[in-house]
Amino acid sequence: MSALIRSRSFRRGAFQIGFLALLIALIVAAALVGRANILSQGMATGFGFLEQTTGWTVGFSVIDVGPRSTYAHMLFVGILNTLAVGLLTLVLASLLGLVLALMRVSTNTPMQIVGGTYIELFRNVPLILQVLFWYALLTHTPSPRNAISFVDVAFFSNRGLTLPVPALSGLDVLILVAGLVVLAFAFRGLSKSFDLRQRILGAIAAFAALFLVLLLTGRAPEMPLISVPALKGLRFDGGFTLKPEFTALLIGLVLFGASYIGEITRGGLLSVDKGKLEAGAALGFNSSQINRFIRIPLAFRAMLPALANQYVWLMKGTTVGIVIGYPDYFAVVSTSINQSGQTLELLALLMIGFVIINYSIGFAMNVLNDRLKLKGRS
Amino acid sequence: MVAETLPPPIAQSGIGHWFKKHFFSTWLDGVLSLIFLALIIWVVSAVWTWGLRHAIWTVENREACGHGSGACWAVIQDRHRLILFGLYPYEEHWRSTLACLAVIATMVLSCVPLFWTVWRLPILWLVGFGTFVLLMRGGFAGMPLVTTEQWGGLSLTIFIFSAVFVLGTPLAVILAFARRSSLPVIAKTTGLFIDIFRSLPLLTILFAAAVVVPLVLPDWLQGDKLGRVIIGFALFFAAYQAEIIRAGLQSIPDGQVEAAVSLNMPFWSQVVDIQLPQAFRNTLPSTINQAVITFKETSIVTIIGFFEVMASGNAVVGTGEWGQQYVEVYLFLAFIYFVFVFGLSRYGAWLETRMRVGHG
Amino acid sequence: MTSKIGRMIAATAVVLTGATGAMAQDEGVLGAIKDRDSLLCTGHNGSYLGFAEVDAQGAWQGFDIEMCKALATAITGSPDKLQIIPVSWAQRFPAIQSGDIDVIIKVTGWTMTRDTELGLQYSRPYFVGPFYTMTRKELGASSIEDLAGGVFCAQAGTTVERILVDYMDSRGLEYEVLAFEKPEELRGAIYNERCDAVPGFGPFLSATRVEAPDPDAFIILEDVMALEPEGIVVREGEEALLDVINWMVSVLLLAEQEGITQANVDDMRANPPSATIERMLGVTPGVGDRLGLSNDWAYNMIKAVGNYGEIYDRTVGDGSRYQLPRGLNNLWNNGGVLYPLVLD
Repeated sequence: MSALIRSRSFRRGAFQIGFLALLIALIVAAALVGRANILSQGMATGFGFLEQTTGWTVGFSVIDVGPRSTYAHMLFVGILNTLAVGLLTLVLASLLGLVLALMRVSTNTPMQIVGGTYIELFRNVPLILQVLFWYALLTHTPSPRNAISFVDVAFFSNRGLTLPVPALSGLDVLILVAGLVVLAFAFRGLSKSFDLRQRILGAIAAFAALFLVLLLTGRAPEMPLISVPALKGLRFDGGFTLKPEFTALLIGLVLFGASYIGEITRGGLLSVDKGKLEAGAALGFNSSQINRFIRIPLAFRAMLPALANQYVWLMKGTTVGIVIGYPDYFAVVSTSINQSGQTLELLALLMIGFVIINYSIGFAMNVLNDRLKLKGRS
Repeated sequence: MVAETLPPPIAQSGIGHWFKKHFFSTWLDGVLSLIFLALIIWVVSAVWTWGLRHAIWTVENREACGHGSGACWAVIQDRHRLILFGLYPYEEHWRSTLACLAVIATMVLSCVPLFWTVWRLPILWLVGFGTFVLLMRGGFAGMPLVTTEQWGGLSLTIFIFSAVFVLGTPLAVILAFARRSSLPVIAKTTGLFIDIFRSLPLLTILFAAAVVVPLVLPDWLQGDKLGRVIIGFALFFAAYQAEIIRAGLQSIPDGQVEAAVSLNMPFWSQVVDIQLPQAFRNTLPSTINQAVITFKETSIVTIIGFFEVMASGNAVVGTGEWGQQYVEVYLFLAFIYFVFVFGLSRYGAWLETRMRVGHG
Repeated sequence: MTSKIGRMIAATAVVLTGATGAMAQDEGVLGAIKDRDSLLCTGHNGSYLGFAEVDAQGAWQGFDIEMCKALATAITGSPDKLQIIPVSWAQRFPAIQSGDIDVIIKVTGWTMTRDTELGLQYSRPYFVGPFYTMTRKELGASSIEDLAGGVFCAQAGTTVERILVDYMDSRGLEYEVLAFEKPEELRGAIYNERCDAVPGFGPFLSATRVEAPDPDAFIILEDVMALEPEGIVVREGEEALLDVINWMVSVLLLAEQEGITQANVDDMRANPPSATIERMLGVTPGVGDRLGLSNDWAYNMIKAVGNYGEIYDRTVGDGSRYQLPRGLNNLWNNGGVLYPLVLD
């Protein structure tokens, strides 16, 4: 017996079991206290409320939503809003970040100054302040009746930027998707004897021809092809409006995110072995070819882990949208908590939602990392 | 196939060459240089005209605000005390000022290498931080008691930041060691905890700490809202900082710990005398970067109803009286954050170069 | 091994009994306020004009804040034994459920969900507010119908969101909603024309209009969207505290009805004109004992904040910059709907 207790592996095992048991005991205790508190205050519990209609609505949504939507639907709307602004941010901030990094590593002094100043300015001010600033700027613009118009088809006012868009029905969208599939196949199908540019152009031409034919034959004759916005009463009718809440949050996130991504990219670019660049130059590559074929691919590989972190961070940053009235997932959950009172349930859903989104980003970046790994070395 | 042999590059020097290399190395470069130079000149002159030359500085001249083409800094003159002190009692603002200075002095002192020992640094912070709390809270020596609900403005921002730092750093050390533990259950649980905290937005954690945690805690454990929010924030900070410290620990060669073990050094001494000093030193730039991010993120607490500097600045803009001067107020806030954050990050950059030199 | 588990169970038991034990011995929130000698009352995450706003010195002002002071005085004897906790609209219910605040005095409408599912209890209404819609004169709207298709701004997590949706849907009107978490953002959106219209609590709209850089540019339409009674909220099961609150409101109204003011309360106490006033001001015992308060609580309260009419005048009425007419919030004998209960 005493030998058993003295055995190292036994002590280790016992310690771990004790740790786990303590953890479980704490969680159970918290759950019991929570339950007691909820019961003693007569609060409703359970996930039944998800089936109830909300009775309130939000002003921005990618899909249809209204006061008769259920809480489950409303939460889904929130997730989609978060993803909409988040994913767009990742793309745009990466592009801007790349430009900034190239400016900073270039030999051109004015470009270095502008890039450096930009990064210092935007990195060192809190995101929430930047978002508030852009929102204030975007809403201190003329009202719809005095909107700044661009040849009477596009308008800029404090209701946002209203643009003409193709009037697409559900069928049209289907056709468009079919067209894109055709495009992808056409690109692959074209013989390898064409060079890249010819293949792209050929595929686009095939797509455009197909799309136009389908579009012209497949739609009602009286429907206009393009929906042009026009002032009607208090707002613009038709067209597509980029609302200031969405735009301000997007601008804020992109400009802020780009300053970080710019630095990460710069680090990546600088990590590329100088010898490889010189080798490229020795092979007669010009500087844009060196950038395209040697520097950027190698830099990308080096900076992927830091970039993945930054992407997760930016996705989380979308939650500041609540200060300017953008109904992202957090804002929708916060309002739901107040309207339905299901605090614990909603908070659990909120956290699960973000964990799933961010683990997905991490997973996608890992897959990318694996595919980009230097091959042929073991 | 034989590549054409190019002549060796000609070494060049002189101002003319420098100018050519940095402004007009190619035709495209020349155009870009001109464009960006024009941009720089335009921005600088616009800022100068708007912000200084045509600016209105005093409340007496405020009628001119909004009509001219200049900034209206009168709003700052009129409301700077609200922005800087928030809800703190008006007569006691001097305490808030002194308290802020105490913490700022602590921050500056902890940047001096003289204080970089395992004992000096924590003691310095405890003293600085303690002075801050005593001054802010009062309730002795004739200073009226001011409870945390009334703390506001810049001092609240600094309080949250330093409290998170003071609480979060030891937590981060514990988490980092736990994650490296050879006991799989402990390493896995810690890893799960760290990963989950890192994938949650800070706002959701603070929200949970502010409104939900009290539901699952017995009454005697609840504390006040500010305390809970700071603990939540510190856990978030620790989850990030733990990964930084872990990287620092990993960079220490195994041989050192093995040497310590073979000398029969106690575990505690291994940690305090060998592992931690090196881990911190190796990760100083990342730690400072994390501090910078944390300082900026304190602005998030405004959403859950604290009157830190961001919220009190926003309160100025939310009145009809100064609603049109949002650019000035936001710039002033940005300036406050910038001073702290830029200072910290410059210091980090300086350390990085210094250490690179030190390590050859 | 067994001893370890035993210790663990013991530790868990301590946690649990500590929790339930604490619940059993304190006599509810009223007891907690007395022990703490301070009331935790709601503020705002910004300034809700007229009701809870932060002035240039960073001090809280407004009708709801005065009610907090009145309650603090009634229970502790001093209006300074009060901590105003800033919370947003959306946080007020979680905050009271978690015990961060003792009461919600934050123009909170009495709704069925809140009363039942949230486990809350309401006092008798201390304020009655019609919901109107404010808009810009230049839009030329004379009724809410004219605002169809416009952008309506509201505060997130309030009854306004529901009232607006019901009103517009039942009339088949189109609208867009924009909801803000903080009052500053909402006001900004109103002043810089991000919204065409702001539905809301009448007094708040008037105050917002007065504060506007160009008050004359705004008009409050006559359509009443709904009428909302605002009560003071406590947790379910806090009967003792609720009694105190109901009688506090009642005494404030009775004082106004009987002409007792902050200025003359000492005289009134010295020479009470009626038996009711004698009881109310604690000259003869009873008014306090039965609520678990000191017998001079009503006297202290009126001495500290005045009667209902004085509070109204000072914060939102003629004595303030908002100049709101009393309207429905007058006493029954002056054309309003408020009345004191019988103090016997």
